[in-house]
Amino acid sequence: MVFLDLALNALASGIALGCIYALVALGLAITFGLLHIPNVAHPALVIAGAYAVVLANMRGIDPILAALVLTLPFYAVGLAFYEFYARAFERRGRGNTLQSLTLFFGVSLIVEIALVVAFGTDLRSVSVPYVGRSFELGLIVLPYRFLVPALLAPAVILGLWLYMTRTHSGLAMRAVAHDERALSISGHDPVAIKRHAFGLATALAVLAGAALVIVGPVDPFAGRVHLGRVFAVVVLAGLGSIPGTLAAAIIIGVAEAFVTAFLSPSWAPGVAFAILLGTLALRPNGIFGTAR
Amino acid sequence: MNGLVVEGLRAGYGAVNVLHDVSITVGEGEFVALLGMNGNGKSTLLNAIMGFVKPSAGSIRLFWDGQSVPLAGQAPHRIVDLGIGYVPEGRRLVPNLTVEENLKLAARGRAKNDFAENLDFCFETFQILKERRRQLAGTMSGGQQQQLAIARALMTSPRIMVIDEPSVGLAPIVVDQMIATIKELQTKRRMTILMAEQSFFQAVEVASRAYVLAHGSIVHAIEHGLDAEAMETIRNAMMGVE
Repeated sequence: MVFLDLALNALASGIALGCIYALVALGLAITFGLLHIPNVAHPALVIAGAYAVVLANMRGIDPILAALVLTLPFYAVGLAFYEFYARAFERRGRGNTLQSLTLFFGVSLIVEIALVVAFGTDLRSVSVPYVGRSFELGLIVLPYRFLVPALLAPAVILGLWLYMTRTHSGLAMRAVAHDERALSISGHDPVAIKRHAFGLATALAVLAGAALVIVGPVDPFAGRVHLGRVFAVVVLAGLGSIPGTLAAAIIIGVAEAFVTAFLSPSWAPGVAFAILLGTLALRPNGIFGTAR
Repeated sequence: MNGLVVEGLRAGYGAVNVLHDVSITVGEGEFVALLGMNGNGKSTLLNAIMGFVKPSAGSIRLFWDGQSVPLAGQAPHRIVDLGIGYVPEGRRLVPNLTVEENLKLAARGRAKNDFAENLDFCFETFQILKERRRQLAGTMSGGQQQQLAIARALMTSPRIMVIDEPSVGLAPIVVDQMIATIKELQTKRRMTILMAEQSFFQAVEVASRAYVLAHGSIVHAIEHGLDAEAMETIRNAMMGVE
């Protein structure tokens, strides 16, 4: 009975955890998975999003509602940043990966330092009415501060997936990963499509930030623990697969929850990479990736 | 007169100049063949027309409805929107999108309002694309992909179709069908076509005029019908026989 109890709760919290990981990884699924930009600053942007949500929450605004509104300025910041990146790096010989990595590490540090200067290194959190209460179903007990942000993930991913499959610019975003010239021939400006995609990825960071800060308090460096994992999720999903991102994140979340419950929490952070390495040995393009 | 006029074009890659003082014209309703062996600048010329290669001298202009629009220096997607439909070498489809999605993607700008009409026309011209419209482009045969590449160019509501070596990598019987279909676009639909091709016999059978490129220069321009004498001249020029 104790075993079943542990296993069921590990499964439930693993799925919820996976959903939250998916939300954090989603922006990277676009920038890294579709645009091939190694945006290691994404987790830092997520934390910047979390702080923006904290500020709004101090004025009594619900974190998820705040995040939805904040997607607009974050989108604009993403557009501006991509414009800078494209002018400085990509137009001179198709973006050198090492240079880009260095740039995005720099951006990551600048975001973190800016957060420290503005807010200090203390933990910040939001207050929502459902903190401290739990959803109970049989043996499963899941705190609402976990469940609510977890439910945000499938909603956002469904929205993004519909956008990518049903709209013209969504189609163009899927095409840009494969062949920019094919886009030009179809009458699209590849730079504009990539700028839009980067803006969208940055807007997703604030939604992920809201989810993280509802789950628990954050400090300016909270993005760092997610860095390795989000890349693992995106690569495991198969570069560019949006529904795959959710599935891969849930696999990692459940595995981490089981390792935490039955082995030791110390092992949990290594789980993502163990799964990643094992999967890539069998499926080099990730679980949902197609051969390119 | 409506058409495309290239004058005194010089273009190349970095320090290497490929085209030297190239001038060609393509009038509305014509089927112009651009002949030449591999490596003589056919693709470079088409890439310059499409904006993928920046010319270092000369002009490329589209004359249409009394307007003269310079194409040199414009981005490729603008040139497509101005009315130059492009079927590139290697087809350049989006392999992970379906046939229909590839076609939908090309219904941009000026061509947006013609979407339904253009799609009907494409499916009518290429039956196989209609049957396979939900199939991923990357999983189709070479001949079908080439049809899709032509259909995609048609979706952009082109005034002039620029086609680069449609026969590359296809079986001879498929090539015959492909060239026949392109010819039909000109005869039945009054499309204007500029087609680069190295399979000389295929091209001269269908073209109304031809240019021969050798070492980056136009060495022959056959302006008035391709009679036996003209064909002999072209063949010699292509083979490097004086």
